[in-house]
Amino acid sequence: MSERATTIFSGALGVFLFLLIWELIGQYQLVGITWPPFTVVMEYLFDPSRRLLFQRALSATLSSMFLGYAIGAFVGLGLGVITHLFPLLRAGGDRLAAVVNSIPAIALAPLFVVLLSRGAAPPALAATGSFFVFYVAGTSGLGSALQSQVDLARVQGAGRWRRFTNIDLPMAFPTIITGMKLAMPVALIGTILGEWFGAPRGIGILIVNAMQNFQIPLLWSCVVLAATISLSLFALLTIVERAAFRRYR
Amino acid sequence: MRTESTGYTKTKPANPVLSVVAKFLQNYWGILLVLGLWEAVVIGRQLNSIVLPTPEDVVLAVIQNPILYLTNFLSTAWVALVGLAIGAVIGTTLAIISWSSRILSGVLTPLGLMFASIPVVAIIPILARLLGYETKTVLAIVSILSFFPFFVYTSTGLRMLPPGGHDLVSVIGTSRLRYLRHLSLPAALPSWCTAMRLAGPNAVLAAMVAEFLMATPGLGTLLSQASEDLNKAVALGASLVATVVSVMLFHLAQHLEKRVHAAWK
Repeated sequence: MSERATTIFSGALGVFLFLLIWELIGQYQLVGITWPPFTVVMEYLFDPSRRLLFQRALSATLSSMFLGYAIGAFVGLGLGVITHLFPLLRAGGDRLAAVVNSIPAIALAPLFVVLLSRGAAPPALAATGSFFVFYVAGTSGLGSALQSQVDLARVQGAGRWRRFTNIDLPMAFPTIITGMKLAMPVALIGTILGEWFGAPRGIGILIVNAMQNFQIPLLWSCVVLAATISLSLFALLTIVERAAFRRYR
Repeated sequence: MRTESTGYTKTKPANPVLSVVAKFLQNYWGILLVLGLWEAVVIGRQLNSIVLPTPEDVVLAVIQNPILYLTNFLSTAWVALVGLAIGAVIGTTLAIISWSSRILSGVLTPLGLMFASIPVVAIIPILARLLGYETKTVLAIVSILSFFPFFVYTSTGLRMLPPGGHDLVSVIGTSRLRYLRHLSLPAALPSWCTAMRLAGPNAVLAAMVAEFLMATPGLGTLLSQASEDLNKAVALGASLVATVVSVMLFHLAQHLEKRVHAAWK
């Protein structure tokens, strides 16, 4: 068997064993009634009568997430470009990003609720989370040009702007795509946390209500749903990332 | 280039006070800008402190209630640190065990990666329901969430051997255990430090989220209770304390990481 086939096979085996253990613990109630078997969760999740419920929650969560992700990308990459073009601002930008990243999201949520509105907390938290990832990816990507390339540009008389568009930006592209990938789960976490602070609907609301009201299959279904979205977007961007690395490196 | 810069300092000696201010502005312009905006919103919209306090109100709230913040800080910090330590020990140990066997690593590594790329915060309500609304549940939650980065990064690090390292040790001929001790474990240290930098601030966050959801004592509960009592300054004070702790942990871990990276190069 080739190396690649072995990797795929053992990975699939790992996932299968994980689901099997989950199922067995649930079937035999080894840790009590709050752990449902995998099959029960799947049945609950795909029950046609609940399709509308999940669809609504999902569309609310996804639109908040993508809005926040887009804002985070714009601000993070924008600040990254500014601090790259004006190195004097770099230290302050780094520190701001580090502090914003360290503020616990649940500490920021009340601020957004007050300053904007209840519905604004999910996209705002998604934006602050992904902002940091995009800023780090932007600055480290823009700084990744080789000294020889920079020297060549200088010898040929390229100014700061020409150097930026012709060297720094293309060189930053793969790193920025890695940032796009890493920011995705972060944006989803931000959205779910933001929803806990009283958004009208969304997966996060369903999760916290199900927890408080002891609706165990609903709770697990929502978490599975959130995990699945995150994993599929992550996988999708991993494919894009590989293509970009082949093209640019 | 060099002569230019020395010439500059000779003709125009820098004022020490001015250079300290300049240095400060250079490092903190972003944070000052955000605080200024906050202040401007409160004053501009004439919000009273029940809606939104100014930054000074928040700092004052912390200074005026040292005991309240200290006790809540200690219970959150204790749980976050112990949970982080448990997660680190289990994550690192499992990474080493899975390193020692090809089959295990093939089975466990994709699972670890999978868990590292899902929104783990969403698992907190499941764990809360499974284990009950107690402080030991917060501890378990922090341990489990800290486990993933340590497992994933240590697993990767154990394979990042220095060039020629494997050949050298194979030529000398050594046991698997000595191979681990002298080659793989040192090679994994930089990645392990990266895990620490990611997991450290996250442990504080996870502890606060868990406290917030289950109303167990700590900064998360102080935050939610003070918000309910419309005491926004006290609530945001909890945010401030948590942020300071988190930033300190981040810088500590980053410093450690940089030193290890520099030493390993």
